[in-house]
Amino acid sequence: MTLLLDIVTTAAILFIVSAGLLAIFGVLEIVNFAHGAWLTVGAYCAVVAGGLGLNPWLALPMAFVTGAVLGGVTERLIVRPLYARPLDAILATWGLGIVIGQLITLWFGRDVHFTENLLSGTIHVLGTSYSLYRIFALAAAVVIGLGFAFLLEGTRLGLSARAIIMNESLARALGLDTTRIRLVTFMIGTGLTALAGVLLTPLTSVDPTMGVAWLIGSFMLVMVAGSSFGALAVACLVFGGAQVLVSTFISPILGGITVAVLSALVLRISSKGFARV
Amino acid sequence: MFDTADTGAKLTLDGVSSGYGPIAIIRDLSLSIRRGEIFALMGKNGMGKTTLLKTILGLVPARAGDIRLDDQSITGASPKALIRSGVGYAPQEQPLFTDLSIRDNLRLAVRSDRDLDTALDHVFTHFPFLRDRLAQKAGTLSGGEQKMLILSRALMLKPDLILIDEISEGLQPTVIAQIARALHAERDQSGTTILLVEQNLNFALEVADRWAVLKLGEIDDSGEAKPESRERVLEHLKI
Repeated sequence: MTLLLDIVTTAAILFIVSAGLLAIFGVLEIVNFAHGAWLTVGAYCAVVAGGLGLNPWLALPMAFVTGAVLGGVTERLIVRPLYARPLDAILATWGLGIVIGQLITLWFGRDVHFTENLLSGTIHVLGTSYSLYRIFALAAAVVIGLGFAFLLEGTRLGLSARAIIMNESLARALGLDTTRIRLVTFMIGTGLTALAGVLLTPLTSVDPTMGVAWLIGSFMLVMVAGSSFGALAVACLVFGGAQVLVSTFISPILGGITVAVLSALVLRISSKGFARV
Repeated sequence: MFDTADTGAKLTLDGVSSGYGPIAIIRDLSLSIRRGEIFALMGKNGMGKTTLLKTILGLVPARAGDIRLDDQSITGASPKALIRSGVGYAPQEQPLFTDLSIRDNLRLAVRSDRDLDTALDHVFTHFPFLRDRLAQKAGTLSGGEQKMLILSRALMLKPDLILIDEISEGLQPTVIAQIARALHAERDQSGTTILLVEQNLNFALEVADRWAVLKLGEIDDSGEAKPESRERVLEHLKI
C-alpha cells in the first residue's frame, strides 16, 4: 500500500512541478528553460518567509506573486521578441536561468537552507501510516489540475488561450488581444512554478541550483504531454510510477533517470507522446 | 429600409499599397465605399483581393496611402481596435476553430459573455439552425453550415462594416441564397456597409450595389451592379 501511495504522490509532485512549464509551452509554444530558476525563486520565498518569522503558508501567495511579476517582466523584455524564434527563446531562457541562479547566489550565498515544514506528521490512509505532507501534495496537484481545467474550459481567458493554441492568426483577426493573453499566460505559468518551488521545500533542501534537478524531468514530461493537462497527469502517473518502482526494486540512481529515459523512448515511438489523452 | 443615396463614404482607401516582404501585392489603390453599400470586389486568383481585406483590417501593414473609416484614419490600427470600432470580418483561410463548439466560436466574437445572448439572438434570426446545435463542434458542420457560422460570427456585434472573403465558394445555390438574404437584411435593417470579395459573379452581381475588378493589385474596372454588367465583368475574369 505504501508503494501505491508513493507512486501516486510522486506523480502528484511531478505534476505540480511541471504544470507551469506546460501552461507556457501549451499556449505560447515556448520552452521556458528558466523553469528551474522559477522553482528556485519560489523556494527562496519560503526561505525569506521563514527568515521574517512569517507563517510558512504565506510563502505560497508570496511565491506566486513574485513569480508572476518577475515572469511578466521576463515576457515583456526577453520572451516577447522571440516568439517567432523558439530556438533562440530556449537559449535566452536558459541564459536567464543562469542569471537568476547567480543573482540568488549573490543575495543568499551558496549555503543550503531548510525551511519550516508546511505540514508535519503522518496520517492513516488505507490501513497504512503515511506522510501527511505527501498526501497534501496529492490534494494540491488535484486542485492545480482542476484549477487549470476550469481556467481553460470555464473562462474567457481560457477560451481565448485555446483559440490562440489552435489558430493564432484567426484569433488576431477576430480582435483577440493575443499580446495580453500571452503575457497573462506567461505570468500564470511562472507564478505557478514559483508556487511549486514552495511546495517542494518540505521534500528537498533549498540552494541556488535546486531547480536544475527538476528541469530535465519537467521538460521531458511536457514534451510527452504536448499541450494537454490531462496528458501531463497521465505521463506523471506512468513515468512517476516507473520511477518509484525502479528506485525501490532496482536502484535509486537508475530511478533518477527513469522519467527522462522513458519520455525519450515514448517520443521515439510517437512524436505526439501522450498528447491524445 | 436603408437608403444608400446621398450617404457619405464609410470606407475610403487613398493610394494604398501593401504586400508581403519585398513583394508588392496592392499598388496605389484608391476606393470609396458608401455607408450602407454592398460592394463586390472581384478578380482572378492572386490579384490581391484577400490581401486588400487584410490590409484594411491591419493584418497586413499598409506601406503607403491612407485608409479611413467614417473619415477617421485607421491606417496602422490593430485588428483589435478595428473590431472594437465596429468592423466585422469573415475570413476565407482557416476561418473557424474547428475543435471548438459553435457556441465558443461565436462567443469569441463578443467582448463579454454579458453580450452573448443578445448577439446570439441576432444571428439566429438569419440562421436559425444554429440555435439547436450550439454544443456541436464547428468542424463537424457541413461546408455550407460552416460558411453560415463564419458569417454569423462576423454579424454577432452588428458591425457597421463587414469584410467578407469568398463566402460563396463551393456552396450550393440554396445556401448562397440564404447568405444573400442575410446580407441584404443586415444592410436594410441596420445600414451595414459590406465589402464582399467574390469569385462567384452571379452572386456578386445579385447582392452588390457596385463592383470593381482587381488586377495585379490595382482597380482595373468598376461599375454599378446590374444584370447587363455580367459580360463586362466576365471579360476581366477570363483566364
